[in-house]
Amino acid sequence: MEFDLDYLMRQIPALRAGLALTVQASALAILISIAIGLVGASVRTLRLPGLAHLFVAYVELIRNTPLLVQLFFIFFGLPAVGLTLSLFWSGVLALSLWAGAFQTENIRGGLAAVSPGLSEAARAVGLTRAQYLRLIGLPLAVRTGLPAMLNTCVSLIKNSAYLSAIGVQELTGVAFDRIASDFRAFEMLAVLLVGYLSVVLSLSFAVRGIEYRLQAPFRR
Amino acid sequence: MLRRSLPAACLALFAGAAMAQTLPPLPAAIRDQGQLRVGVRCDQPPYGFRGPDGGFAGVEVEMARQMAAWAFGSADKADLTCVTAENRIPQLNARRVDLLIATLGVTPERARVIDFSDAYRWGGSDMLVRKDSPIRKLDDVQGRTVIMLRGTTQALWFDANMPGLNSLRLNTAADALQALLQGRGDAYAHDAATLIVIAARDQSLRLVGEPFAVSDAAVGVRKNEPEWMAWINAALARMKAEKLYDTWVEKWIPADIRPFYAEAFNAPKPTAR
Repeated sequence: MEFDLDYLMRQIPALRAGLALTVQASALAILISIAIGLVGASVRTLRLPGLAHLFVAYVELIRNTPLLVQLFFIFFGLPAVGLTLSLFWSGVLALSLWAGAFQTENIRGGLAAVSPGLSEAARAVGLTRAQYLRLIGLPLAVRTGLPAMLNTCVSLIKNSAYLSAIGVQELTGVAFDRIASDFRAFEMLAVLLVGYLSVVLSLSFAVRGIEYRLQAPFRR
Repeated sequence: MLRRSLPAACLALFAGAAMAQTLPPLPAAIRDQGQLRVGVRCDQPPYGFRGPDGGFAGVEVEMARQMAAWAFGSADKADLTCVTAENRIPQLNARRVDLLIATLGVTPERARVIDFSDAYRWGGSDMLVRKDSPIRKLDDVQGRTVIMLRGTTQALWFDANMPGLNSLRLNTAADALQALLQGRGDAYAHDAATLIVIAARDQSLRLVGEPFAVSDAAVGVRKNEPEWMAWINAALARMKAEKLYDTWVEKWIPADIRPFYAEAFNAPKPTAR
């Protein structure tokens, strides 16, 4: 079977809608997961009683179970206890929780790399622990942790392909749907590779720009 | 040489006619494998599903085992693989299996990429809804969400006949049923044969009962394997002649829903949308 460009052109509108959904779900999940990461890393660094343990348990639960199982749990499991989220939000929640655990660890790692002298100095001038984190610790931690955080975001985008398993018509869902009906696997899989590659590369370039700006004070 | 082989050939011909059900020779490629690699369904009772012991079960599984018995002398020579509606044709064309007996309906789209044997039964489509659902006929689903499996006859039918329909496409019948029970869709469209089993088991659900997308079910074979196709068609004809389907229908299908299936194997195809 040769590459059929005409066929591909006819599928473009559906694929574009799928790509838009992939980008939407990923962007939302990236924002939510970074928020989770900031809170999680702060809570663990401040050693807030109870909450810190809760985050340890959360991180271990997410890191040691497959994302696909987490996704099915949220989609098919949670309605049993009365929480029925839409297709889209089930997917966004699963991706956010998954990436949030990794972002917690990324930012915590960044915090550990901040010189202890800064924390002592902050205490000496009378800043509370929370003020230290907000004004000094986290901004520096995000700078150091940025490459690791980018990695997690890249994985999140790629993992958004799992959402097709619960019927979200994102890029992979649309493509697999067409393959199942028209059997033009080669064309569709090629589109998938190019589609994900371009989304992930654009994100990498954007983050490189941010990294450059954040490093400005330290450049000679 | 000729004088010796000619009477032998005549004898063989007569013997063949007398036994009537002798199958043509197996293609060399299949014979050399020493087993029959068949793709069957594992979530489509009563055709192909996991039995109480976790093993392969169902009418189409019996067909696969019977073919192995005729080809290699033992039903255990059937090497069965679970296939889904979505991956069955890729599995066949990637040579992971040599034939599909997998609730495969004959459609023009599929005929472009694989060959179909003679039909061994027909299959209609129906919809499963919750008992209190307002959906009474096919057209009632306009503006609602219909659950269906990727790559099924129903997905193709809705794409062609109700293009604006809100559809939720999933991968397995188990996922689809779960999604219907949780109210993620208003109806679940699939083969009537599959839905009848589910409706009989679950009192909270009912069938809509308007047949649509009736198609023939046939064995799927890779394109351009005429020898292999001839063998399969002969085997199917022999199953029909020996009334094996009746035995299997009786074995795998509870009496209360049996007539529907017996008809699908024996009666001519009805007309519907």
